[in-house]
Amino acid sequence: MSNSNTKPDGAARLGWAGVRRHPLLLVLPALVLLILIMAVPLITIIARSFIDPVPGLGNYSWFFSHKLNLIVLWRTFVISFWVTISCVLVAYPYAFAMSVAGPRLRLILVLCVLVPFWVSGVVRTLAWVIILQDTGVINQFVIWLGFDKLSLIRTQLGVTIGMTQVLLPFMVMPLFAVMRGIDLRLIEAAKSLGSHPVKAFFQVYLPLSLPGVFAGATIVFILALGFYITPLLLGGPSSTMLSTLVQQQVMSLLNWGRGGAMGVILLVATFGFLALASPFMRRKYDISGGSK
Amino acid sequence: MRRILPRILLGTICVLIALWLVAPTLVVVPMSFAEQKSLVFPPSGFSLQWYENFFTNKQWYGSLIVSLKVALIVALLATVLGTLAAIGIERAKGRSAGILRAILITPIIIPGVVMAIGIYAVYLDTRLVGTLTGYVLAHTMLALPFVVIAVGASLSVFDARLETAAASLGASRLSAFFTVTLPLILPGILSGMLFAFVTSFDEVIVSLFITSPQATTLPVRIFASITRDSDPTVAAVGSLTFLATTIIIGAGLLVGTRRGRSK
Amino acid sequence: MKIDFLTRSALAVALISGGAALAQDGPVAGDVAEGSLEGETLTFVSYGGIYQDGQTASLQPFVEKSGVELYSDGPTSLAKLQAQVEAGNVMWDVVDTGDFLPYVHCGTLFQKLDFSKIDTSNIPEGQVGECSVPAMNYGVLLVYNADKYGDNPPTGWADFFDTEKFPGTRAMPGYAEPNGYIVEVALLNAGVTKEDMFPTDVDLALDQYRAIRDNLILWQTGAESQQIIEAGEADMVIAWSGRALAAVKNGANYEPVWNDWVVVMDQLTIPVGVKNPDAAHALINAAIGKQAQETLTEQTSYSPIHMGAEPQVDELTAKWLTNSPERIAQGYLQNVPYWVENYEALSEKWAEFIAGY
Repeated sequence: MSNSNTKPDGAARLGWAGVRRHPLLLVLPALVLLILIMAVPLITIIARSFIDPVPGLGNYSWFFSHKLNLIVLWRTFVISFWVTISCVLVAYPYAFAMSVAGPRLRLILVLCVLVPFWVSGVVRTLAWVIILQDTGVINQFVIWLGFDKLSLIRTQLGVTIGMTQVLLPFMVMPLFAVMRGIDLRLIEAAKSLGSHPVKAFFQVYLPLSLPGVFAGATIVFILALGFYITPLLLGGPSSTMLSTLVQQQVMSLLNWGRGGAMGVILLVATFGFLALASPFMRRKYDISGGSK
Repeated sequence: MRRILPRILLGTICVLIALWLVAPTLVVVPMSFAEQKSLVFPPSGFSLQWYENFFTNKQWYGSLIVSLKVALIVALLATVLGTLAAIGIERAKGRSAGILRAILITPIIIPGVVMAIGIYAVYLDTRLVGTLTGYVLAHTMLALPFVVIAVGASLSVFDARLETAAASLGASRLSAFFTVTLPLILPGILSGMLFAFVTSFDEVIVSLFITSPQATTLPVRIFASITRDSDPTVAAVGSLTFLATTIIIGAGLLVGTRRGRSK
Repeated sequence: MKIDFLTRSALAVALISGGAALAQDGPVAGDVAEGSLEGETLTFVSYGGIYQDGQTASLQPFVEKSGVELYSDGPTSLAKLQAQVEAGNVMWDVVDTGDFLPYVHCGTLFQKLDFSKIDTSNIPEGQVGECSVPAMNYGVLLVYNADKYGDNPPTGWADFFDTEKFPGTRAMPGYAEPNGYIVEVALLNAGVTKEDMFPTDVDLALDQYRAIRDNLILWQTGAESQQIIEAGEADMVIAWSGRALAAVKNGANYEPVWNDWVVVMDQLTIPVGVKNPDAAHALINAAIGKQAQETLTEQTSYSPIHMGAEPQVDELTAKWLTNSPERIAQGYLQNVPYWVENYEALSEKWAEFIAGY
């Protein structure tokens, strides 16, 4: 098969051939846009983190010498991690149902994911406040049933519930896109060869769907790390996330240097985390490739 | 028996998830008809004044128009650029592809407000503040990562040997791409496009910086409204979006499935 | 002939405004010369929502008379303003801000105002700063659930901290910008007298709140504070008078404690480096006029800062306005100069407190 690359391709024009030889040319337009819009702001901000208000590592040593910053950074990763896990757990069966449902049922399932997705995140968060608060819809129901009221709002649980709901479409859609491409006959084949359905699922279906899981999880995790409004309104002091601290430094204290330093630290930490996670993802991914 | 039980289980789980997805919106709808200037639930009375306010106040409906325009352009632009980039990265593999992938997702990792002040400073120099172009460029940058990731996921399950096979059967590379690859990765592209649209349509933090009196987006308007007041107009806006998207997506999907079945 | 001359002469504004103004030697709040800003544009920036709509409405006569083209922008953001000033491209002409900011950034982000162009004679004493005049007044006060504490209601700030005598949930502002009064009222509770309060012990003050943390909600936005009252989420709330009034209007049975209510205000400012400072001054002078202030109060229920203003409001709203002599006597003025001096230190401690530390 590999020699097909060197085969002359009559219909190909020069540009297409160039792209074939250097596929990274396809990345060029996106890259140019990014550099145009992002490079200058990013470099400015990074530079300011080292020179504002005085040159040196002051902003970084400030960050690491204040315990609060470290606690909040750690908390940001922990909350994002749990939000990602709950998104996977909730989205997986849902996306599976979407991929196997008949057209009419699928229509309803897709609508339920997409419609709330378009309603402003701020408005949805306000709605979650109304649902979760002590006098809210859930607690009115719980009390009516005769139980003690639940503490939901201004807890990490409440924040996780709200963020999971807001981010769920980002998990469901890539998962659904991948699951649709999986040939269900593979499972049937495995079963007909005597495999237990549960075992067939774990050995055949799950590995094939993993690229969707990882794509969705990456998006959800990164978005959760930067979430601002939902934790602000649904959470209390115990669920303050890094974005709130950054917002504080930049918007009310005009400490752009510190804000920039926090951005750089978050960037490094996120890439570090993704790099740690990627061998694991890669390995799973190879299994799925091998089982094809 | 062994076949029915999992189905019931799956069905129950899906109903609960669907309910949980839609519930907050269902709370917003009645609030939009509140008689008083209040965001309490359940609301008392019935009035259409908040809808009237939305449609008669240019700052409200005008911001919706701006948001729609920007989001549509962003969805198209980000999808094209992002799909190309995802294909390029998938074909190239290797270390440089990994680095490019990391660069392309950087915009959404940097905290929004840090990115925003940087962009704002650049926009002040280039007179892009509050212009359609300004919004489109900034939002496209923020939307690109979603397209790259979503399309990348579809590409990684898709078997590149299919395209090679088609080409070896005489199809040109380009037509092999359009007839074989594209249909297979279409779900990924569509979800990427959807993410791009929503990212733009719901973006607050950067937009708060690059907004101008001439062009304000809807999320900025909503955010400004809740920091000081309790104005049920935000609930009316939510309900209107809810209604409009139900109709548009519903109709689109219905037509799609009809056509699919008649084949 | 006269009109041309008037475009920049504040003195002449007074001359043609007739009657009472003739006696005065300067501008009259609320007035502007006919057609004096024809062809000019001004961008007015505020916090958005109903408040800014009200401000825009109150400036309508000014717009019509002066011929200026007025744009509304916002919400106010100090970081954005700093970026504009640094870039030398200031797009905002008049900015409505919170109370401390014009003092903290006077001369750097906000320009010193020329009071020969602004008539501040009807503004209550002590409210005009070097770089700011008040946009309106409101109060920060304690409101309590009358159903819960009906017979034995709280009477002062100390009761906010007394969870034994007044069991129940509390709510207070918890947004990023720190407020001096939060520290001051807590110190009063800790037994520090008004006389020996400064320099303050911020930690001691915040510890008062930490002690009741299990019963304490921090609200982030105006909408949220109102919602907390209406839903009865907290029994005692430190709230803005406007939001509390709105909640009561919507049926919440809450009562205010006026004893030592904190006088707060929004400020009108002009950034450093605006293109047309004269026009910006004219806008501020118009915004603090009697009629403009009446309109603003009627539309937003914030209190007017023009002492002669007689807004037409319903009885309930009138009860909550903060500008009556009785209210002014009960009001508590925070030590603005001190907090401006110690803003940075306060901010650091406040940031830690609201992040749960």
